[in-house]
Amino acid sequence: MKEKIKSLSSKIVYLITVVTLVSILLIFNVFEKINKEAFYNIETEKAKLVLSTIEPLIALNIYLNLNDRIDQLAKQLVTNPDILAVKVLQGDKVINEIKSQEFDKNIDDSFIVKNDIFQPNSKKKIGTLVLTYSNKNYKELIDRYTTLLIKVLCLFGLFFLLFGLYVKRLLSPLRDIAQLVRGYSPEKNINIPFDHQNNEIGFISSALNNMQQSIQQYSKQQQNINKYLEEKVDEKTVELRQQLYTNTLTGLPNRRSLLHDINHYEEGALLIINIDDFKEINDFFGHAVGDSILISFSQNLANMITREDNATLIHLSGDEFALLFVQKPTKNEFIEFANTLLKSIEKMIFNHENNVLTLRVTMGGAYQIKEALEKADIALKSAKKQAKDFLLYDETLNVEQQYKNNMEWTKKLNWAIENDRITPFFQPIYDNKTKQIVSAECLIRLVDDNKKIISPFFFLTIAKKSKLYSKLTKIMIQKSCQYFEHLDCDFSINLSVEDVLDENIVSYISQSIKKYNVSHKIILELLETEEIENYEEVSSFISEMKSLGCRIAIDDFGSGYSNFEYLLKLNVDYIKIDGSLIKNIDTDANAQIVVETIVNFAKKLNILIIAEYVHNEGVYKRVQELDIERSQGFHLAEPRNTLTL
Amino acid sequence: MKKILFLYLTLVNIVFAYNYDDVILKAQASIFPKIILLDKKIEDKLIDGKIIYTIVYNKDDYLTALSIEKFIDKNFQGQLDKYDYKINLVEFENFSLKTEASAIYVLNQSDQIENIATMAREKGIISFSYDINNLKKGLMFSLVIEKSTVLYLKKEILFTKKIEFVDALLQMVRFVEKDYSYQNDKNFQNRLNSRIYYASIFSR
Repeated sequence: MKEKIKSLSSKIVYLITVVTLVSILLIFNVFEKINKEAFYNIETEKAKLVLSTIEPLIALNIYLNLNDRIDQLAKQLVTNPDILAVKVLQGDKVINEIKSQEFDKNIDDSFIVKNDIFQPNSKKKIGTLVLTYSNKNYKELIDRYTTLLIKVLCLFGLFFLLFGLYVKRLLSPLRDIAQLVRGYSPEKNINIPFDHQNNEIGFISSALNNMQQSIQQYSKQQQNINKYLEEKVDEKTVELRQQLYTNTLTGLPNRRSLLHDINHYEEGALLIINIDDFKEINDFFGHAVGDSILISFSQNLANMITREDNATLIHLSGDEFALLFVQKPTKNEFIEFANTLLKSIEKMIFNHENNVLTLRVTMGGAYQIKEALEKADIALKSAKKQAKDFLLYDETLNVEQQYKNNMEWTKKLNWAIENDRITPFFQPIYDNKTKQIVSAECLIRLVDDNKKIISPFFFLTIAKKSKLYSKLTKIMIQKSCQYFEHLDCDFSINLSVEDVLDENIVSYISQSIKKYNVSHKIILELLETEEIENYEEVSSFISEMKSLGCRIAIDDFGSGYSNFEYLLKLNVDYIKIDGSLIKNIDTDANAQIVVETIVNFAKKLNILIIAEYVHNEGVYKRVQELDIERSQGFHLAEPRNTLTL
Repeated sequence: MKKILFLYLTLVNIVFAYNYDDVILKAQASIFPKIILLDKKIEDKLIDGKIIYTIVYNKDDYLTALSIEKFIDKNFQGQLDKYDYKINLVEFENFSLKTEASAIYVLNQSDQIENIATMAREKGIISFSYDINNLKKGLMFSLVIEKSTVLYLKKEILFTKKIEFVDALLQMVRFVEKDYSYQNDKNFQNRLNSRIYYASIFSR
């Protein structure tokens, strides 16, 4: 609803009217009151004047006993139409009283004035003169005065009303100007017509016209600037869009571009290609080489794709690429394409200086456009987990099921902790020379409600996710220490870097060792596969444990980025060579070379070596041949809930 | 012998005396003494603290003068307001500038009225006349009963410095010009002929 204009001129007129009316009423009342009183005083004074004029004569006549003359005087007085009656008293005695013919008619509108009569040439009071005076004159005077006052005030009011209207008329151009200016825009030229007037309105009009010109000039400048800025913004937008949807390294469309395309198309298929262990190349040769290989790899991939494939190559992240098929091939074609691609990638050769590098990739595929990226990713992760080169997503890979499993395992873990179903199993470690058990590794097991023994493979990862891991560590420490308290045999417990960094766990280990007095029996196995980023803390932990008399072993050595420098610095007592190196040692020459290197190195440092995963006689023999001091594996003994020495 | 003398005098008076109007005499005897008190300079005219009211008469009017004296004494009981008064009866022949008088009242029929009036003016005292015609001869005040009681005052008195009447008196009197002739004033004659007597006025 449009707001009603509060007109200034109308306000002035209203104000003038109100002020005038109030003033008129005020003036009228004040004047009437003052003048009524004045008129009344005048009439009273007139009556008193009559009295004071006649009193000496009356006094003289009383004095001279000329009563007839008093009567004459009284009669003369009542001829005055304003005097209704005259009464002369000598003492209390009325000596003369005369009333006019108007007396009875006007007695209600009259007033009485009295005057003492003094003896002539003396102060002696000889009587009283009483005059009844008519109010008629006063009333007529008041009526005439009131009428006149009303007329004057009406004229006064009319004058101010006209004045107000004149003011309104004077200010009316302001309203016209306001209406004109209200519709103003820099594109529209308005003509304010009052600028020729030599008054304030003329000045305002002139100023507004000047302002209008300035605004128009300014507006034109602004338009030019805006146009220039818009062009620049468009350029930058294109540039940014390109950056937003392009990988800066390879120039290929990036993940955002892929997501956009997935949402855009209704049909299609997606293949994610992840380069295995690309981190090793980066770490070993440096990032510049890694980037160069990625660029070459992307170019090779691009060359493999033909127009007929209707596929777009995307660079998702550092070592991950994708192929989006916007025209869906048949499922067999899609799988065949993936296998062909795998073979082609295996044949790719990348040269760096004198090194020839090859790449292995793992691929996950989604044969549907809806949630293609997520599903291909699930397939990729499953492939990685299952050590397969390629997996196509299907419902069995459904992550929801995994989540469900996780929740069930968490529930089961909690149940096991509460019901004391976490228990250590002991796998003997043999001296390769004496063939005797020299120690045992304490391995965690869960005994479910069906008394089925469950491997940590199923629950350890979930335990870490659900923050139950530290509880499991404590149970293992407590039960293992307690078990070996009275057993004359060394034992080892696995600790993760996470445990080592947990002050609470470290404290618990110390307390348990002291409590069960096993400091000279216990060997703490630290996983080599886990990156030891917090070297200082780990080193501190080892020093603390060694001060108690404990020994330290590096577990799964050779599985990760084996760093011999660490071995030197951490001052470990044992190295447990990773099972992946041992399991094929009887057949794999490369594994033999690596193990030999580790053994030589360890022996020079007087570090005792233990071979894990000794699962057959061939491996066992080879281990012995390599002069590895100790062995552990299913070929020798399986883990059991009791240790038989 | 005494009886014969009294009778003689009475008869002489009756035979030779002026015929006075008793009402006017009484009116004048009532009012004139009071008028003395209307003089603002009365204090200057007191003799031994008294007002001396001197009645000047013709030898033949002795009884009239005596009756006026009695009438005044009866009315005022020897006291004019706050002042004591004394009435002197003096014959025309005996009146001189040495005669004690705060005011004089002159009866009629004498050739010496003009002389008396002159002396009164010289003395600066008020002179009352029985006969209004004597105002022409220089006396100041007279009283006539017309439709009502009227006081006549000779206008010249206003210029006498020794006498100053209250203003009201001057408002109620009728002034008489120097050359005024009452015999020629028809209005006066008419008023005089139609006079009404108000006996009650003089009943004090």
